Amino acid sequence: MILHILNRPPSSSLTYREALASMGPEDRLLLIEDGVLGALPSQVRHFESVTGRLFALREDLAARGLDGHCDAAVQVVDVDGFVQLTEEADKTVSWS
Amino acid sequence: MHDRDTQLGGDVLVILRHPPHGSSWLREGLDAALVAAAFGQAVSLLFMGDGVMALAGGQGQGPLGQKGTAPTLDMLAMYDIEALYLESGALSALGLNRDALQLPAQPLEAADIANLIAAHRLVLTF
Amino acid sequence: MRYALLVQGPPYSRQAAHSALRFARALLARGHTLESVFFYHDGVYNAARLAAPPQDEPHLVDAWRALHDEHGTRLQVCIAAALRRGLLDEREASRHGKTGHSVEPPFELTGLGQLIDLGLGCDRLVTFSP
Repeated sequence: MILHILNRPPSSSLTYREALASMGPEDRLLLIEDGVLGALPSQVRHFESVTGRLFALREDLAARGLDGHCDAAVQVVDVDGFVQLTEEADKTVSWS
Repeated sequence: MHDRDTQLGGDVLVILRHPPHGSSWLREGLDAALVAAAFGQAVSLLFMGDGVMALAGGQGQGPLGQKGTAPTLDMLAMYDIEALYLESGALSALGLNRDALQLPAQPLEAADIANLIAAHRLVLTF
Repeated sequence: MRYALLVQGPPYSRQAAHSALRFARALLARGHTLESVFFYHDGVYNAARLAAPPQDEPHLVDAWRALHDEHGTRLQVCIAAALRRGLLDEREASRHGKTGHSVEPPFELTGLGQLIDLGLGCDRLVTFSP
């Protein structure tokens, strides 16, 4: 399993398409920084292909007033959980 | 035929996602690839998204004499970097033809890109 | 596990360096080792010794230095990327005939080969780009 990390929102950047195209069937995707906008109910459809493997960073949501506003399909992790995701992955790939 | 073409594997995969001239991403990504190769690692390059523009023929210097990256592409073979891949959808999205490329690269579909990433120990995205 | 971070974002105008620092602290808190933070692309600006942010804002240069002091983390800066952006230590400043220097220990100017070594030698390399 590879952890992909995305810091761009799907509303203004197509980087998410490159991240999704590069993901294997077990890989996970973590949204950080402006990428957490993708966790909103209005945006999460862009990540349908990785349902169940989609994560968002709590601290970046909270700083933007978005904690608690995520779609239910998104698993929210704090930075400790971010580290844990990297422990569980064979390697990480960052998309910006 | 290089056996890496069929096996997709290697030590270091450098993914190049930015076109030449507009930023230093492409140049600094290529530098990382050259250094990895100079250190004896098996290096693969994947040109993705607008990064496929790096392969376009007929590139020149910037208006102030900025070097661009076309000359660096010519050096890849010297560094034994022969595993070159491109995202097949990216070429057609830009209306580019494979025949017009400065260097040949093997087109990959999405599933192959995931395999390519999985088959390298280190993946760097620029 | 042995971690290394690659930081490619500048210290102030983008979030990447802050994300990297937060991640660094969290991995250390989980008992891992942070071998090195490697600065490349605009990330080299994190080594600017003259950075003087307002007192009520995070001071990234000091925070990186604290990582080194408290955990032995190396702070490695790509020399080619740094020189182009005016980031020179004392030795490079004198070599290039400059009157001042902009990088000081514990930041060390080093070759890009170090990044490859870290990426292949550590258990995890995590990249933070702008």
